[in-house]
Amino acid sequence: MDKKVVLEVIGVDPPCKRCATTHKNTEEAASRLRKDGVDVSVQKLNITSKEVVSKYGVILSPALAVNGQVRIAGRIPSPDEIVRIVKQSGLG
Amino acid sequence: MNGSNLKKRSLRTAVLATFVATVFAALVYSRIMAYSLAPTMRPADFHGLPLWYIPLAYIWDYLSHGWICLLFAFVAAGIIYEFIPKDIINRYMSSGKASGYALGVGVAPLFTVCSCTMIPLFSGILYAGAGIGPAISFLLMAPAANILTILLTGEIISWQIAAVRIFASLTTALVAGIVISRTPWGKEIENEHKSNNPGKTMTVDVVKLPLDERLINSLRFAWYLGRQILPFFLLGLMIVGYVEAFLPEEIVESYLTGLQGILLASVIGGPLYTPTLVEIVLGRGLLNLGMSQAALLSWLMGQPYDIPNMMAGSKIVKWKVVLSYAMIAWMFSVIFGLTYGLAIGAL
Repeated sequence: MDKKVVLEVIGVDPPCKRCATTHKNTEEAASRLRKDGVDVSVQKLNITSKEVVSKYGVILSPALAVNGQVRIAGRIPSPDEIVRIVKQSGLG
Repeated sequence: MNGSNLKKRSLRTAVLATFVATVFAALVYSRIMAYSLAPTMRPADFHGLPLWYIPLAYIWDYLSHGWICLLFAFVAAGIIYEFIPKDIINRYMSSGKASGYALGVGVAPLFTVCSCTMIPLFSGILYAGAGIGPAISFLLMAPAANILTILLTGEIISWQIAAVRIFASLTTALVAGIVISRTPWGKEIENEHKSNNPGKTMTVDVVKLPLDERLINSLRFAWYLGRQILPFFLLGLMIVGYVEAFLPEEIVESYLTGLQGILLASVIGGPLYTPTLVEIVLGRGLLNLGMSQAALLSWLMGQPYDIPNMMAGSKIVKWKVVLSYAMIAWMFSVIFGLTYGLAIGAL
């Protein structure tokens, strides 16, 4: 597996509870993907920063982007779902 | 997807949809049968009750009447939040001034039953280049016109007050947004973020979920909102119970009526920090004690310029901007209080 997957958790800082849960679920999904040999990194972005808005536009928190594309906005994804999204994008 | 999985999904969808329909039907039924969902105890009922019993009696009075309304409010908020298309803001926010204002006051408040989405949206609207005006309008409209606030104001106080509150907040939000976007310090901020127009909607491709999972998500969000808000709401009810029991009616009647009542209500309604929805119960309590309807409107309109809202706003824009919108919002709460009082002939 030589593809690199970047998961970006986009939430408020300091994290609200929903953003924190999303972050936790993403970490869990990442560790599962790593077991399958996928090169995953998880980053935390601040939704109230200018960089995030100019990159993704106005989105709702918590959000999750996979390799620069927002796939989840305004809800908490489960670890299973995150794994599924990564695999369906042909990355896992 | 195989057959049995599909069957399981349809069954789950049916169960969840039935639950939601039941909650909706319960509210409609209570309307048709003309049950009062508002509490029925009057201040006089509290006199002579033991001290420890007052909050219990009050909370019981509230919940025994209001549980349908509360349940409905939270479920409806969850459903709306889940099913409103979330990319709508992304798509239309940066497409011009007029649509920016329309979204700021019209659509965005539906998203903001939870305060933790408010500041991200405020900064998002600003940074996306929609301008300071729509951002301010949104910030002032959101606490006054989200689905929970509207439902509870209507059920607990009156639908007339709820309608007037929406209209008054809408006007205030629009005027404050437009005025601030013309001030030198407002323009300064707008120019700072002008070059920052993204329009990169290509980077958003939100995953679609099956209906049963969306329904579960709605109820989960409703539950989350309930856990966030209800503890404060109950604490608020306890305090209001004591206020109703011990604050003499003469004091409320002499201070919270007339012009002075409006001024006083607008000042304490603002800076006084009342967690979401408590301003409604406390307002109802004061109304029972003799506060005028006009003062009540000013009191409710104080919500958008309370201290936590201003603190949060000041992290994104300068204090000068925050103070200007707070001043405008305060002035309008007085003006609308007066107008409403004169219109209904009960100043």
